Amino acid sequence: MDTPPLRPIRPAHRLRVLDDGQLADLRAATLTILDEVGVHCPSPEIRARYAAHGARVDAETGIVRLSPDLVLAAMARAPRGYTMGARSAAHDAVLDGTAMYTATDGCGVTMIDPATRRRRPSVAADVGDMARVADALPAVGFYWPMLSAGDHRATAPLHELLASYANTVKHVQTETVMGAPMARWAVEMARVVAGDEATMRARPMLSALICTIAPLAQDAEGMEGAMVLARAGVPVGFMSMATTGSTAPATIAGTLALGDAEIVAALALVQLEVPGAPVFHSLMTGVMDPRSGGYLATSRDGALAYTAGIEIAHHWGVPVLAGVYGTDAPAPGWQSAAEAAVALTVGALLGAETGSGMGLLDGCTVCYPEQLVLDADLHERVRANLAALDTSPEAIALDVIRRVGPRAHFLYEPHTRDGMRRLEFSALTGQVAADGSARDAVDVARAEVDRILATHHPDPLDPAQSRELERIVAAADADLGAATAAAGGRS
Amino acid sequence: MTAVTRPSEPTTRTDRPPLEPIRTPFRMRFLSDDQLERMQAATLEILQRVGVKFPSTMALDVLEAHGVAVDRATQVARFEPDLVLRALASAPRTFTLAAREPAYDIHVGDGATYFTTDGCGTETIDFDTRELRPSCKADVGEMARIADYLPSIGFYWPMVSARDFGVTAPLHELDASWANTVKHVQSETVMGAREAGYALEMATVLAGSREALRARPLFSDVICTIAPLVQDHAGIEAALVLAAAGIPVGFLSMPTLGTTAPATLAGALAMGDAEIISGCVLLQLAFPGTPVFHSLMQAWADPRSGAYVSYSLDSRMRYAPIEQAHHWGLPCLGSAYGTDAPVAGTWAAGVEVASDPFWIGFTGAEIVTGMGLSRTYTLLYPEGLLLDEDAYQRARYAHMAMDVDDETLAVDVVASVGPAGHFLYEPHTRDHMRTSMRRALTHEPAPDGGFRDPVEVARERVAWIRANHHPEPAAAAQQAELARILAAAGRELG
Repeated sequence: MDTPPLRPIRPAHRLRVLDDGQLADLRAATLTILDEVGVHCPSPEIRARYAAHGARVDAETGIVRLSPDLVLAAMARAPRGYTMGARSAAHDAVLDGTAMYTATDGCGVTMIDPATRRRRPSVAADVGDMARVADALPAVGFYWPMLSAGDHRATAPLHELLASYANTVKHVQTETVMGAPMARWAVEMARVVAGDEATMRARPMLSALICTIAPLAQDAEGMEGAMVLARAGVPVGFMSMATTGSTAPATIAGTLALGDAEIVAALALVQLEVPGAPVFHSLMTGVMDPRSGGYLATSRDGALAYTAGIEIAHHWGVPVLAGVYGTDAPAPGWQSAAEAAVALTVGALLGAETGSGMGLLDGCTVCYPEQLVLDADLHERVRANLAALDTSPEAIALDVIRRVGPRAHFLYEPHTRDGMRRLEFSALTGQVAADGSARDAVDVARAEVDRILATHHPDPLDPAQSRELERIVAAADADLGAATAAAGGRS
Repeated sequence: MTAVTRPSEPTTRTDRPPLEPIRTPFRMRFLSDDQLERMQAATLEILQRVGVKFPSTMALDVLEAHGVAVDRATQVARFEPDLVLRALASAPRTFTLAAREPAYDIHVGDGATYFTTDGCGTETIDFDTRELRPSCKADVGEMARIADYLPSIGFYWPMVSARDFGVTAPLHELDASWANTVKHVQSETVMGAREAGYALEMATVLAGSREALRARPLFSDVICTIAPLVQDHAGIEAALVLAAAGIPVGFLSMPTLGTTAPATLAGALAMGDAEIISGCVLLQLAFPGTPVFHSLMQAWADPRSGAYVSYSLDSRMRYAPIEQAHHWGLPCLGSAYGTDAPVAGTWAAGVEVASDPFWIGFTGAEIVTGMGLSRTYTLLYPEGLLLDEDAYQRARYAHMAMDVDDETLAVDVVASVGPAGHFLYEPHTRDHMRTSMRRALTHEPAPDGGFRDPVEVARERVAWIRANHHPEPAAAAQQAELARILAAAGRELG
């Protein structure tokens, strides 16, 4: 079945929440942190690469310090935009600053089974099913494997890619491929999907997100995997989830500066190693609950803190992945809507190129399939609201108003018939049941998931590609699975 | 009929928080100068060539006396552009919406955005039994007490209809409101010259004199026009009576795309604007300088049923009319909230309204309605007001400028902690954590370690406010006089 065209948000309006002076102050803080405090890099191999490019490395502590000149020179090489390729070229996400593409959330561990409605651990088949739902929704611009392939242990990230490529023609972004060996297998898979090296470079069908560890630490496997991916032309982004009050200072500005330093330390090395490599910046801060120490994705201040990172990224001249659907809600309902609404709007107004977070709840761990459909509805609302208002003579319709005059109605007018067809209404709210009562929007969304799963089957992979991907994953199972078993457990 | 609700002697006193309007350094323009000019030109052309029907001799006399072309047979008035612009030039850009307690006066045009409740719902989910029933005067009073306590509510619209008082319901809604909040009250139901006269008498009792009322109007009124391009007989005559006494009057147009307005947003906005401007021009011609405001709340006809839809996917009508009003130099009553969802606290109720206050904050609307009703402004769930307040507070914080200075950047603290440490022991954390985490309704801890259902928390807060918050009543003599006026109105109007 045909995958509908993407409907990214193309905002007619732009907003600035930080002024030039504030951005300069934040950048100066980041540069000071990188120069004087440094970041902890536990990988000898990565430390060696930093040292080779002129960073100051303390082998004993594992601390890497970067001078402002080195950071600025490295970041100047990063491209401002590029294309995230899709199996179907019509579904490429073109990061050119004119549109915002939103993705699903990822790496959930619990699935609400669409058939039984019971909670259970997630499996690879769930990744594929949700990829199909995402494929059918024009609001979803690219796909994060939404759940962990818990039935595949050490090679779960590769099985997640396999299930994703088999079930959506859209771009796939992984947030679980870690370590050089696994990254090499992932690159092999991306090459098979791309078909040739030129396509792999021009329209990479895989991108990857690597998390840093707050405060100011890198993950060895994450960084080693990132270098493999970047050398192969796969766009790589780094995400900091610095948490105000526990792993970051108890102020928003301090949290942003610290998280930015983590991200820029990694982006700079990618640019030093692979000048011009496509990268992205992702600063998704949280807040510590002062009563429990728990992580909160949102507070009343959340919308601003989340989105200020977008302007910081753009000040560095790199695209951004914004956190735009973060909600702490345990199930679909008022909270999941109220917490998500503003962040997506601000993200689009600030010109974020990409954003992720659709479809998971309860701290990004639980997949209610219908939540993806609900979040897609929110995307469509923001898209409609940010469009320019048409004030052409046809839209103002003076002739029609004159013809109808006071105290009449517009129902007979051809202008009404034409205009009503162009209006956009929600497919979820305002739906009426057979008995005339109002249907609950969440129930409507569930029915839509059922319909998509029963009827939507995106263009499949070429059989030869499919077989090759399965051979790669089988080989990786044998290689990485055996290595994990030899190491005595799951990696 | 139920008994008139007056606040009982409080068992405990609570402090009423100061108002928390949205004050923001952020402004956005959604319509370009060219678009605004084009829209205004369309309005002027509609007023000149099509005209507006004024089914009131009182209004037509005023218009004709000031040079407006009046067709007595059709009751349609046509306005020359020059006359419109001259008349509106006398409208004040700023004025005061006075409160019983002056500390809660609203100075329209002071750069802040003040929100109010929604109004004129017809049914209530009972506070105690949770059953659906017709709304009554007591509900108006109960919700006024809750609104009085909430810092997000700058002034009060009687939230539901006092259906237990028949044709004098609007006067009883004013009475219940004044008895239960010290904040400014804005009616959206006082219609007709005689009814407006009684409302003025009531307000005069509280203000002390007509002169004091003119200086500090304790209530204001919203008059709805009838799309397309008609003024309401009772509405326009009430507007003239109130404006004569210096009461701020706003005109509200609710054009519906596809039925009572063209099926294009710009066309509906231009036509609705023409209705509003015609009312404002009438009042400025009759009483130059009288405070007026502009309000346009556009909706859609459901193409499947013809039903009224307040929320489609497209909510641009939340901000465009505010820029239209300001382009005329008029203060604006913006439109937010009022979900079509039949039940408060559901996903649909959240998704439709949650970003409304955020959008409105960018526009600089002076006053905004209306928090707290569901089912397209008709059904009161008491907890709905608390849920809408939560969205309001999220927007208010999002609209604050972020502090970026040495103290908040905290580079010294970061250096002290260093890589791979934590910030829990830092004095900086202790000092700032108290203000860094603003707890919303959604993050009240549950005994099991998770968070409580925010809808339940909202219900609980409603119950707490009802039990504990008792605004200062009017003086006994004033209350007695109000009761006498209501009785007289009941005899004359009822």
